[in-house]
Amino acid sequence: MRTFRFAAILLSVLAASVLPAVPAAHAQSAVGVTADTVKIGTFGALTGPGYLYGKIIMNGAETVYNEVNKAGGIHGRKIVLVREDDRCDAAAAIAAVKKLIFQEQVFMLHGGGCSNATIAARPEIEKGNLPFVVFASVADEVTVPTHPQIFSTALSASIESASQLEFALKQGATRIAVISQRDAWGRSRYTPLMEHFKRKGITPVADEELSGDANDATPQVLRLRQARPDAVLMVLYPKPGAVFLRDAHKVGFKPVAIGQTALGDLIAFREQVGIPGAIDRFYTISHVRYTVEDPEMEKWRALLQQNFSSDRLSVYNVVGIASAQVVVEVLKRAGKDLTREKVQAELQKLKGFDTGIYPGVITCTPTDHQCHKTPAWIQLVGDKVKTVAVTPVER
Amino acid sequence: MLAYLLVSGLASGCLYALVAMGLVVVYKSTTVVNFAHGELFMVAGFFAYTLHVLLRVPYLPALLLAVLASFALGMLTERLAYRPLMHAPTISLVLAAVGFSFVLKGLARQIWGGRGDYIPFPPLLGTDPIIFGEIVLVPQQLVVVAATIICMVLFAAFFRWTRTGKTMQATAENAKAARLVGIRVDRVYALTWGLGAAAAGVAAVLMAPLTFVYPDIGMSLLVKAFAAAVLGGFGSLPGAILGGLSVGVIEQLAGGYLHTSLMEISAFVIIMAVLIVRPTGFLGARGLRRV
Repeated sequence: MRTFRFAAILLSVLAASVLPAVPAAHAQSAVGVTADTVKIGTFGALTGPGYLYGKIIMNGAETVYNEVNKAGGIHGRKIVLVREDDRCDAAAAIAAVKKLIFQEQVFMLHGGGCSNATIAARPEIEKGNLPFVVFASVADEVTVPTHPQIFSTALSASIESASQLEFALKQGATRIAVISQRDAWGRSRYTPLMEHFKRKGITPVADEELSGDANDATPQVLRLRQARPDAVLMVLYPKPGAVFLRDAHKVGFKPVAIGQTALGDLIAFREQVGIPGAIDRFYTISHVRYTVEDPEMEKWRALLQQNFSSDRLSVYNVVGIASAQVVVEVLKRAGKDLTREKVQAELQKLKGFDTGIYPGVITCTPTDHQCHKTPAWIQLVGDKVKTVAVTPVER
Repeated sequence: MLAYLLVSGLASGCLYALVAMGLVVVYKSTTVVNFAHGELFMVAGFFAYTLHVLLRVPYLPALLLAVLASFALGMLTERLAYRPLMHAPTISLVLAAVGFSFVLKGLARQIWGGRGDYIPFPPLLGTDPIIFGEIVLVPQQLVVVAATIICMVLFAAFFRWTRTGKTMQATAENAKAARLVGIRVDRVYALTWGLGAAAAGVAAVLMAPLTFVYPDIGMSLLVKAFAAAVLGGFGSLPGAILGGLSVGVIEQLAGGYLHTSLMEISAFVIIMAVLIVRPTGFLGARGLRRV
């Protein structure tokens, strides 16, 4: 009797220690996945000035996921997208990803609008040990150092900065000036830009600073004008960018002005500058080769208008569409027996994937998770956004 | 270059002066610095945007309605953030104002924040630059300069010749004595806060074409307006004007002749320098003591 009791106790203890581990081990691979759904978490600014890089991109991504779901999902699983607002704020981004990973228990993350927020959230994402595909954050620190689970379909700050200089040189500029914000965002682009100048053996003829909150750029414009540049590289957000071009136009200073993706919505930027003709010589980078008004985007435009009628259509919708297509492709390739490890493996070996929307192909490698390296250059001609060049950059 | 910088500096300075005037009006009566003043400016800008751009109300009626709405919001700020803490330590009043500023910013984000990045506002007079010899200005800058002069004259007249203005001055001088002679001090405070917010409203509507409208504009302008008020002498309306113009010009000259990186810090440097060298500012009254 005593022996039987001892054996029963021993068996119970063994069962208690072993059995929970079995479902836990299984749960790690199956988190966010059921027989008919796969849950994807997305975070970015749903409100505030950064909403273009958050909510609007999410709208594009969700449109793709809805279409996939209408067609039956991926291997029979429909995509459930869960949104969290980080308000372009570091603390809010940490809270948002914690909620997605530990409360919502998503399978993977597809998001990251503002770079500062995404960088702040990165340690939590690493702890969560789930695949993360970045759709818009461009700071190099988002993917460097390389982490096995973090990949980006956005251009990076250093790629954009190098491309700005390359584009200026391609336009025949010999005297190149720089105007930049020197906050964290600005420095993340200014520093690699200066490094690229050095690699090229070129010195800027002027290097001026403009605050993100500036209401007047007269000193900057006058100092730049004194240097007589052919081209001015702008490392600015839309407000200081608009103030700069407005004040430049006011004093008759009209160099070739070269922006980057923060100034990617040319129609909105023209409204902000507010002076006819002031952005005639302005070029900027786009992550994608089409705008939402282009004929090639007609199908997606109609779907966006149907699903998100209260939101303005923007090129950032297209960014979301293109990035979501990468996620869908990777989920398809990972197969029916879906695990995070398989998605990670497919991302690592994604090579030459053409979404038809990015200017170049998407290629990730085990050591380089910056998968998009082909900026498109756009200009507003009349009321139409035209792609004028595509400049692949080697890092 | 000097002429350009001076003119731009004066135009920017008028912006800071207009905002500083509202700050000083409240301080004169209540001895409280309203740290929510920047957000009152911001909300007024959004009021004007909603009326003029979204609801297509003509410019002048939109301006008047936005200013009235700001006045009401100022009185609400006094009721919620100031009056309950009137007898509390100053730090409590400061914290309440700061807290209220965060509430206003959050509400603005919820109501208007998702509508765009930096929202452009159409100018009153068009965008073609006006050229005076070698000087170039955009018409809206002239509107701001004119508005600053008009506001200064109106405030001066209000405090000098109207009963309400004199009542406010009396309350600022000695609230207890004002109560003793039958002045409704709580109403005076409410009116003062409304007036200060209305000044912010005028500034916001006239400057929106230059500054854009967005939820985060309040803090940066508050710092500049604070520097202007400190430089001019907190408590002096002419001082606020002089201080604002000085901050604008110093900023432009520092950026033009030294380095553009100095423009942002010039306001902070001014605040520190004035507090060390001449704490009462240009026109601030020195305290008198009868012996």
